[in-house]
Amino acid sequence: MSETADAHDAPTSTGIDHKKLIMWLFLASDCMFFGTLISTHLLYRKLYPSGFTDAEGHQRFIQNLFNIELTSFSTFILLMSSFLMALAVSAMHKGEIKSFRRNVLGVIFFGLIFLGCQVFEFTHFYHQGLTIQNSVLGSTFYVLTGTHGTHVAIGVLWLILMYFYSFTGKLRGHMGALDVEVAGLYWHFVDIVWIIIFTAVYLVEYLGPNGIWGTGLPAAIK
Amino acid sequence: MSHDSHHAPVACKTELAPERSDLGLIRPDRTTGWTDWLTTVDHKKIGILYGAFAMFYFLVGGVEALAIRTQLIRPENDFVTARMYNQLFTMHGTTMIFLGVMPLSAAFFNFLVPLQIGARDVAFPRLNAFSLWTFVFGAFVLNASWFFEFAHLAGWLNSFDWHKALVYTDFAPANGWFSYAPLSGTFGQNGQALRFTGVGTDFWIIGIQVLGIASLAASFNFICTIINMRAKGMTMMRLPVFTWMTLITAILIILAFPAITVALIELMFDRAFGANFFNPSAGGQPVLWQHLFWIFGHPEVYILVLPAMGIVSEILPTFSGKALFGYPIIVFSGAVIGFLGFAVWSHHMFTTGLGPVPTAAFALLTMAIAVPTGVKIFNWLGTIWGGRVRFTPPMVLALGFIWMFMCGGFSGVMHSAAPADSQQQDSYFVIAHFHYVLLGGVLLGLMAGLYFWFPKIFGRMPNAPVAYIASGMVILGFNLAFGPMHYLGLAGMPRRTHTYQAGNGWENWNFIATIGAYILGAGVFIAFVNLFWTAFKGKKCASDPWGGRTLEWSLPSPVPEYNFAQAPIVATRDAYFEDRHGGKRIAYENDGGEAGVHMPSQSWMPLVASAGFLFAGFGMPMMAMGVPHAGWIVITGLGVLILGIWLWAVEGPGGYMLKTPAAAGSPAPVETAAH
Repeated sequence: MSETADAHDAPTSTGIDHKKLIMWLFLASDCMFFGTLISTHLLYRKLYPSGFTDAEGHQRFIQNLFNIELTSFSTFILLMSSFLMALAVSAMHKGEIKSFRRNVLGVIFFGLIFLGCQVFEFTHFYHQGLTIQNSVLGSTFYVLTGTHGTHVAIGVLWLILMYFYSFTGKLRGHMGALDVEVAGLYWHFVDIVWIIIFTAVYLVEYLGPNGIWGTGLPAAIK
Repeated sequence: MSHDSHHAPVACKTELAPERSDLGLIRPDRTTGWTDWLTTVDHKKIGILYGAFAMFYFLVGGVEALAIRTQLIRPENDFVTARMYNQLFTMHGTTMIFLGVMPLSAAFFNFLVPLQIGARDVAFPRLNAFSLWTFVFGAFVLNASWFFEFAHLAGWLNSFDWHKALVYTDFAPANGWFSYAPLSGTFGQNGQALRFTGVGTDFWIIGIQVLGIASLAASFNFICTIINMRAKGMTMMRLPVFTWMTLITAILIILAFPAITVALIELMFDRAFGANFFNPSAGGQPVLWQHLFWIFGHPEVYILVLPAMGIVSEILPTFSGKALFGYPIIVFSGAVIGFLGFAVWSHHMFTTGLGPVPTAAFALLTMAIAVPTGVKIFNWLGTIWGGRVRFTPPMVLALGFIWMFMCGGFSGVMHSAAPADSQQQDSYFVIAHFHYVLLGGVLLGLMAGLYFWFPKIFGRMPNAPVAYIASGMVILGFNLAFGPMHYLGLAGMPRRTHTYQAGNGWENWNFIATIGAYILGAGVFIAFVNLFWTAFKGKKCASDPWGGRTLEWSLPSPVPEYNFAQAPIVATRDAYFEDRHGGKRIAYENDGGEAGVHMPSQSWMPLVASAGFLFAGFGMPMMAMGVPHAGWIVITGLGVLILGIWLWAVEGPGGYMLKTPAAAGSPAPVETAAH
C-alpha cells in the first residue's frame, strides 16, 4: 500500500517530507507546552523556596527528598536510549530491518527502565510526604514530571507498535524509514526536554553553598 | 492484493472494487449522501461543514447576546436571573470566539488555501477530517452544559441522588470567557478542593481543551500544506495574501495554544485532584492563571483577526481593479503583528499591580503593535485610491471592515495607556472596544468573505439586494449597539453586570444599544438565510463572476473534487488576473487526464477517533457531578480515541487515480512512467 502512495506522492515544495515537517511543527508547539510547565514550576520555586511541609507538619527541604543518584541514573539511561534510537533510524535507512528491531527493542527497554524509575520516585516521594495536594511544590513537580513521563509512555507505545508492525513486512523503503525517523525525532525531543527538566528541577537545587533559591542546603547534602 | 486494482484510473471511485484495510475493514467510497459527508477527506467539503457548523453557532451565540441585551434594555429588568445571565455572557463569548469565528476562519482556510496555492488537497487529508470532527464534538461537549442546565431548571434531575449536591451549581459555564482563577478554581487546604463555581467550569475546561486539539491539528496541517504543497512557480512572495495570513495565524495557534492547554490542565488538576496551582489558601497564585491565559489570549485576538485581514486584502484589489498596494509590506506587517502579539499580553492585566517597569514595557509594546496595523490600513486605502471601485456586497462589507476595525483600533490604543486603562478596565468601554474589533472587524470581514467566495463554493450568486439590506442592517445595528457602550463605559457602567439601577444616566443608551442589537441580529440572520438559500436555490453564475485575481477563480464552480485537472505553473503574483489581462500566462503540467490524478481515500477513522473526545468530554464533567459510573464513560472515550488512531494508522493513506477532463488548449496528457 505504501508503495502505491510512494509512486504518486508529488515532490514537496521544500524537499522535506510532509511527515517530517509536521513532526517538527508539533515539536515547536510542544516546546511552548513544556516551557509553560517548567516556568510554572520555577516561578513557584522562587516564590516558595523553602520546600514543603509533610503530613506530620515537619518542614522538608527538596534536597532531602530527591535521590539525585537514582535520577542521574535514569537520565543516563534515557540518554542512551536516544543513542539506540539513532542507531535504529540509521539501520532503517540502510534497510537492515533486523538491526532496526534489535535497536528499537533496546529503546523500548530503556524507556521502560526510565518509566520504572519514575514510578519508584513518585511512590517514594509520596511516602516521604510530598503529595499533589499538600503543597504547590507537589502540584508543580508531579504535573511537570508526570507530563514528561506521559510523553515517554506514548513514545514507548508508539515504538512497540512499530516493532510489531515491522513483522508484517510493510515497514520498508523510503516511507518505512521516514516513519521510523519521525518517531525518532519525537523520542530525541522528549529526551532533550528531560535534560532541561533534570537541570531546572533537580540539578539547580544543589548549586552553590545555599542552593539556587538561597534557602541553604541541609547538612546531609553539604 | 486488492490494492492492485487501484492503479487503474477511474472516473469515480465506486467503479473500483471496495478498498479494504489490512484488517479487512472496507473503506467508504460514496461521493454523495451521509457516508460521504461523514467520511470525506476533501478539503472543500470539510470547509463547507466547518462553515455550516460555524454559522449555526454564530446564531446560537447571537441568541445568547440578544438575551443579554434584552435583560439590559431597562433598569432592574428581570428577563433572566443573575445566575442565568452569568451563564449567558460566558457562553456568548466562548461560543463566538471558539465556535463561531475560529471555525468560520477555518472554513475559509480549508476551502481556499489548497486552491490558492494550486494544490489538489491539504498535506494530511484525514488529519483535516479529524480536526473538523474534533471541533464539532468539542462544541457538543461545551453546549451539552446547557442541556444539563435546562434539565435542572425543569426539575428533571431531581429524582437522581447525585443531583442533591448540585442544587446550587451552575451547569453551564459562568466564569466569563477567560475563567479567571480563583473564581474558576478552588480554595481550602490539603486537597479539599472546595469550588467557587459549579460543573459548568468543568464543561468549559474540557470543551476548550478538545477545541484546542482541533485547532492545533488543523494548524500543523495548514502550515505543512502552505510550505510544502505550492504549485510550481508559487514562491512565498507570490502567495495570495489570504494564504499568507492563514500561515501566520496557524503559526500563532501552534505557539499560543500550548499555554492555554497547560493552564487548563493545571486548573483541571486543581478542581479534580485537589492540586494547588491557583488555590490561594495553599499558596497558589491566581494571577498565574491570568498570565497563562493571556499569553494565549492575546495572540488569540490576532488569530481571530488576521484571517479577516487576509480576506479583505483579497476583496479590495478585486473590486478596485488594482493590484494590492504594497503586497510585501502587508505580508510583513502581518508577520510583525503575529510576533508582537506574543509581547503584549499583560495589557489585559494593568490593574493587577505588575509594577511600573512591566506596565510601561507592555504599554509601549501595545502602542507599537498599532503601527503594523496602521500600515495595513494605509495600504488598503492605497489599494482603493484611484481604482474603479465596484460597490458589490463583499466590497461594501470589506469597506465596513476597514472603518469599524479602525474605530476599534483607536479605542485599543487608548487602552494601551495604562493610567487610562485602569479607568476603563471592566467597564462597557472595553466591551465597545473589542466588539468593534471582533464584530465590526472580524465578523464583517468574514461576511465579506462569504459573499465573495459563495459563487465559487456553490456556483450560485447570492441575491444582491438582500445582501445590501443585510449589510446595511449589520453596520447600522452594530454601531447603534456598540457605539453607545463607549459612553456607558466612561460613564461608569461595569461589564458583566446583570442589572443596573435607574438614575445613573445609563437608561437611554442601554435602550438604544438593545434596539441596535436587535437590528444587528436581524441583519446577520437575513444574511445567513440569504446565503443558505443561495447554496441551494441561488441563480447559477459563471466561474469568475467578480473578475478575480487568484488561482481559485481559474477553476469551474463548484470546484471539481480534484481541483485542478492539470496542476498549474504560475509565473507571477495574482496569477489568474495576469493570465487574462497581463503578459504572464498560467502554464499547466502534463498530468491528469486519462492518466488520472492521485486522490486520497475516504475514511471513518478520523470520525471514530474524534468520537473518543466526545465520550471523554461528556464523561469528565459528569464525574465532577458525581454521576455514578461516569468514569467508565471517560475510559471508554479514551479507548475509542486510541482504537481510532490505531485503525487509522494501519489502514494507511490509501488512494486511487481519478481521471480528469483534459483542459482545453493544453496538450493531451500522456501516460507517465508510473503506469
